[in-house]
Amino acid sequence: MEKSPGIIEALGLFKQYGDVAAVNNVSLSVGKGELFGLLGPNGSGKTTMIKMLTGQIRSDGGSATVLGLDVEKDPIGIRELVGIIPEQETPPSFLTSTEYLDFVGEVRHIANVEKKADWWFDFLDFSDKRDVLCKDLSRGTRQKLMFTQAFLHKPVLALIDEPLINFDPIMQHKVKDYLAEYVRSGNTIFLSTHILQIAEEICTGFAILHKGKLLHTGTVAELKQRDQHLDDFFFSLVQKESHV
Amino acid sequence: MFKLFTNMMKEEWRIHSTIFGSLSFALFPVMIFGIAFMGSFLLPLFRTVIPRGDLSTIVHALFLLLGIMVGAFGLIGQEAMNRRFGQASLLAYSAKSLPISVQEIFCTFVVKDTVYYFFLWVLPFVGGFAIASPFIGIPLLLPALLLLTLTLAFLTGLSVVFFLSTVYARSKPALGIILALILIAGAGLYLFAGINIALFFPPLMLFYSFSWVLLGLTCAVILILSAVAILLFTSEYADTTKRYDSALSPLAQRLSFFPYPPLAAKDLIDLSRSGSFIGQTIFSFLIPLGLLWFLLSVLTRLLPPGGVLLLFAILTGVIASTMYTWITAFDSYNSYTCLPVSVRALLTSKMCSFAMLQLIPFVLIIVVSLLTRGVAYLIPALVLCLSVSFFSLAITVWLTGLSPGVMVYDAKVLVTYLFVLGIALIVLIALMFVNPDYALVSVLLFLPGWFFVRQGYAKWDILDQPTF
Ligand SMILES: Nc1ncnc2c1ncn2[C@@H]1O[C@H](COP(=O)(O)OP(=O)(O)O)[C@@H](O)[C@H]1O
Ligand SMILES: [Mg+2]
Repeated sequence: MEKSPGIIEALGLFKQYGDVAAVNNVSLSVGKGELFGLLGPNGSGKTTMIKMLTGQIRSDGGSATVLGLDVEKDPIGIRELVGIIPEQETPPSFLTSTEYLDFVGEVRHIANVEKKADWWFDFLDFSDKRDVLCKDLSRGTRQKLMFTQAFLHKPVLALIDEPLINFDPIMQHKVKDYLAEYVRSGNTIFLSTHILQIAEEICTGFAILHKGKLLHTGTVAELKQRDQHLDDFFFSLVQKESHV
Repeated sequence: MFKLFTNMMKEEWRIHSTIFGSLSFALFPVMIFGIAFMGSFLLPLFRTVIPRGDLSTIVHALFLLLGIMVGAFGLIGQEAMNRRFGQASLLAYSAKSLPISVQEIFCTFVVKDTVYYFFLWVLPFVGGFAIASPFIGIPLLLPALLLLTLTLAFLTGLSVVFFLSTVYARSKPALGIILALILIAGAGLYLFAGINIALFFPPLMLFYSFSWVLLGLTCAVILILSAVAILLFTSEYADTTKRYDSALSPLAQRLSFFPYPPLAAKDLIDLSRSGSFIGQTIFSFLIPLGLLWFLLSVLTRLLPPGGVLLLFAILTGVIASTMYTWITAFDSYNSYTCLPVSVRALLTSKMCSFAMLQLIPFVLIIVVSLLTRGVAYLIPALVLCLSVSFFSLAITVWLTGLSPGVMVYDAKVLVTYLFVLGIALIVLIALMFVNPDYALVSVLLFLPGWFFVRQGYAKWDILDQPTF
């Protein structure tokens, strides 16, 4: 697939936590219309990477632009444009689901929030939880709410951190279809997950992180051509790395 | 039970120490020790102005106040703490997932608070005084007695709040009735018999004339209050899920004159649904101030006319500024990071919500000045109260950003806060004793206040927020 440059450009990103280099000199480029998977075992730096790209934390080195905006200089500008699903779903305790979406609508200046929210309540099947406080929601429902929140304004780019982890298989299926369709209409998605199967099913491009280092970037199509499965490829890479 | 206790202690320590690093937190009791030690040398000086009896009353009342504040933070703040440290992390609130009764957990929680804050506040304070006492010619027996009676004063405060707050959780009218009875009894005794009910505060009586019977009685009061609290205690989480009509958008529309209407609307909803609007107003504002009024009224004959009211206005301002912790308790910045909301915007919005809450001290000062026939000093008192409150808020914003409730336990932060605020207050007090109308000068505090807020913006509007 041909890449048109510029949706996400990371150059030598680096983040240190104590002695740990959570993200170690990672460069990436994600083009328009991609569903890009950031893959790696737990603790490999995926969440840290997403947080740096959305201006939630400052990098200790390197640079990045998202939708042409510098992550250091204009984090709020980036967050206005993109949709984000954080790793930990933390909607405000004392707002109901509906109110939280209203809140997001007000903050993001979205027109017709009620109608849009209705569609999502219906689509993700949680209409019965509309008027329940977020603190009383189950994890799965909170995840649905956070999913809705990220896509409510139909962002051209969504950065989503393990978005499927609390969903049952039926819901996962539904959401995967939604994501695939979403990029087909010209939007871009940057998805982090440690579940390789999901990545193999829906991603176009992918990158593999291990202990903060970028081991590989490529396309799923390439792998298919070589008749290789993503999980085999992944394990061989990670094992090789561990032996070094 | 013991295991639960030690785990809770570790948890409390972990919460505080991970936030500022163990060292900065461990310095906290050292600092209290230092303040008490140095303060003791001022005692001979004080004693020429304030009779010794009044001084002991004040110190005991302060520890009663401390018990009340700590208790209020532990219980009213439970939702807040939960939010901040995650549902499962606070053992006290994970009753459902542990094979232990709610009462047992609550009981352990009470014991934990007692022990923890004893070492954090009471012991260092009395320790500082004890070490200083040989130098100022006070027999060592006095600090020993003080350790006992101050601990009891602290415990009384704690158990009173635990008791009242469980009553509050069960039935709000019942709490109203109890408070009204206490108020009527206190006022009645004072007005008709000229008896100051504060003198019957058991730990204070114990301090003046120690007897084993009195000691037993004091402990009995504390134990009975706590026992009733524990029996009455229910976990709110056992309740069925409540449902609410959508209130955010309508509220945001009505608050459209605010810089960030949705954020302001959310603050109001948080306050009212968590029950902390009424709860905090009673436990963290009215009760402590009621107590302070008592203390100050002791000083009436020492102060110039209007002095008590103006001093009260200043203290009300200081306590009113802690309302900032009410509105920052519900969200860490983490819950905003997926939205285009900057820390600066959040700080601005919180300060506006704070301004709205200042209606409470505003009304209180008016009521108190009417009740005490101090209307002549109403205007200076109001100006003083609000200026001090906003000034103290500005320092808080500068020093603690969005997390005042946790940052106070950073010794460096607290010292700076006390120092800056202390200077301003001393100047104001001196001025208003010269002439009550000079209290109006306090509006000038808005200038340095503005400067501190600007500093706060620069300090906190950065990408890397401390994550609590
Ligand atoms: N706030 C933090 N403080 C200290 N270490 C952190 C912090 N956030 C992440 N880390 C460390 O950085 C590494 C990468 O974490 P993370 O990005 O969450 O990985 P992933 O999302 O791939 O599971 C881990 O070793 C983790 O322990
Ligand atoms: Mg992660």
